[in-house]
Amino acid sequence: MPPAAATNLAHKPPDGGWGWAVVVAAFISIGFSYAFPKSLTIYFKEIQEYFSVSYSEIAWLSSVMLASMYAGGPVSSILVNRYGSRPVVMLGGLMVSAAMVLSSFGTTIIHLYLCVGVIGGFGLAFNLQPALTIIGTYFQAKRPLANGLAMTGSPVFLSILAPLNQFLFDSYGWRGSFLILGSVVFNCCVAGALMRPVSNQKPKGCLPPSNEAVDQGAVADAGPQTADSDPEEGQHEGKGQTQNSKLVDLTLFKHRGFLIYLVGNVVMFFGFFAPVVFLAPYAKHQGIDEYSAAFLLTIFALVDMFIRPFTGFLGNTRRIRPKIQYFFSFAVSYNGICHLLFPLASGYQGLVVYAVFFGVGFGMVSALLFEVLMDLVGAPRFSSAVGLVTIIECGPVLLGPPISGALVDTFGEYKYLYSTCGVLMLTPGIFFFVMHYFNYKKLEDEQKQKAAGEMRRPEETVELKSNNEANK
Amino acid sequence: MRKVAVLKSQNSTQNVQLLNPVNLSLECSLTADHNNLPNISAFWSQDGREIPDSRLTVALENQQYHLQRLFYISGEEMLGSYSCVFENGVRADFILATPPFGEVRDKPVVSYVRDFVVLPCKMEEAKPKPLSWRWFRGNKTHKEQISEQPERFQIHSEERKSKLKVINLTHEDAGVYYCGAVYAIGTTMNPIELKVITYQEPLKPFIGILIEVVLLVAVIFLCEKRRSKKNTSKGNEENVDQNNIKLQEEEKGAEEGSSMRQRKV
Repeated sequence: MPPAAATNLAHKPPDGGWGWAVVVAAFISIGFSYAFPKSLTIYFKEIQEYFSVSYSEIAWLSSVMLASMYAGGPVSSILVNRYGSRPVVMLGGLMVSAAMVLSSFGTTIIHLYLCVGVIGGFGLAFNLQPALTIIGTYFQAKRPLANGLAMTGSPVFLSILAPLNQFLFDSYGWRGSFLILGSVVFNCCVAGALMRPVSNQKPKGCLPPSNEAVDQGAVADAGPQTADSDPEEGQHEGKGQTQNSKLVDLTLFKHRGFLIYLVGNVVMFFGFFAPVVFLAPYAKHQGIDEYSAAFLLTIFALVDMFIRPFTGFLGNTRRIRPKIQYFFSFAVSYNGICHLLFPLASGYQGLVVYAVFFGVGFGMVSALLFEVLMDLVGAPRFSSAVGLVTIIECGPVLLGPPISGALVDTFGEYKYLYSTCGVLMLTPGIFFFVMHYFNYKKLEDEQKQKAAGEMRRPEETVELKSNNEANK
Repeated sequence: MRKVAVLKSQNSTQNVQLLNPVNLSLECSLTADHNNLPNISAFWSQDGREIPDSRLTVALENQQYHLQRLFYISGEEMLGSYSCVFENGVRADFILATPPFGEVRDKPVVSYVRDFVVLPCKMEEAKPKPLSWRWFRGNKTHKEQISEQPERFQIHSEERKSKLKVINLTHEDAGVYYCGAVYAIGTTMNPIELKVITYQEPLKPFIGILIEVVLLVAVIFLCEKRRSKKNTSKGNEENVDQNNIKLQEEEKGAEEGSSMRQRKV
């Protein structure tokens, strides 16, 4: 049963048809956004030699790119709210493309920071947000599956870009590779072209007025399902397709579900990426050779790749969809338990087992990450929500790995790092379970009140009519 | 310096790292097998050739045949492979060399005409520090040392690292360069291949992929335009139908309304 807030769109989501082409487009955009910055690290050594800079200066390039990507979130949201997903993604593709081409002629490291880091980062932000948003407009009943499939782009693209970058580097050096990567990333514009706005799809002529859609939707969906926003907020959203022209929806900070998501995620992101970053170094520290250590990451990526669509499929099932927040809480807690148990792993087999279990956990959380946000705030407000979430998450994401690195350096051991990450994931997991239990209860109560309110109105009009007739 | 190889029935190989000229004592101990011959003969060889007057008869002592020889390694020519070979064919090889480089890069470094390139060379922490660094160009047989010329080559050396910067590249600069870590006894060479290409090389795939993107985007937009044209013509027909239905309903409603009014009146 679809939650009430989502039907406040002024159209019925197709849940198929061209939607699957949009999933492919989102797959491409999300793939580039997440995998592209990670895959550039292959060039760092040569660029470091070329410009005679230190390792930390070259590592800054990744940080600048990531920071721009997250800072660009709200800007992206504003643009998507005004213009829709398609133009923003195409602009983003153009930006990253131009950034890479310009940087291939760079003469200083600052040049690279500005081009690849800032412009490239913003361009990728203009790909990520709209891709996530447009899935919410095309899918309702099958949305978890669509989200899971789209998020699979990240590990798939990483698996393609990593060897591709190595090949380009061996054949063309870093300058030629950046030039060619500029054209490769230009394919984001193809993804953008596929992101046809939903209103273009309508076979019948005109749109029904927004208010009617709200009333029809609200009455039709009264019943045992998880309405995901308050009835009053629902009315406000219905009246305002025009509200989308507002810059960023700051009323989200009063939204219960949004706040739960935000608080939990901020804590979670401190410990989300660090275990991946330090998996290979930890393996080498245990005396495992470089190729086997790299192979651990390959296993992790493969498991991740298959778990994401599967998680999307599970999230779509009738039993889980209404309580999908619990599924997400479980996924986060599972990650935490994985990390806490990791120090018990011994030998290469133990590491492989961990890589598999961690791959499952990482994939589950990634597949559900944006689906649960959509479930909480509804598709119309999702664009603003994700913009706000990314800029606030910027902090933990950027600080997480360096703090973890400091932990490792201070103690000289990796197990404290993994225990810390375990706690940092398990605590939000439990927090989510508890808070969503109360949130679901409150939403059910509000839903019952709204349904009771709707029932009264038809009865009143019947009374009025009979009164009128009696009076006449 | 003393290096010992203990043999049973299999050959053994040892790498000996040398930094300075040294008196090196090489010893081989062969454990006797069940034959227990009182004497066996053995000789020493250098780089596969038997060293003249090195053939000896070794006596069995404590279940072992013990062979020893003192070598004075004075310079780079004396480095190489030294072996003690016993009568029954068992041998021990000692490979004398300067410290080798750890990571050897097998793929060439690629750079562009009129650009510059930095060729790096590193001797790890675990290995001894070289006295100095030298760079060479050429092939295995003939190497020419590269001297610093401000317009073409710049060499920057630290204790464990050395970098050769080749400026204003041309196609003739392509080839194999050797970075040499110089020790008192000799120099370890590390080959690095340099490839010089023009900007046209990456330009071809770049333009190819650009064209692919433009084509795909054009195809997608064209298909969409065609579909929306069909829809608007269909939509116009449907609008006409809908209007007809609405008119009919209004008429019906008006009739009913008038009939109600009639009844009430």
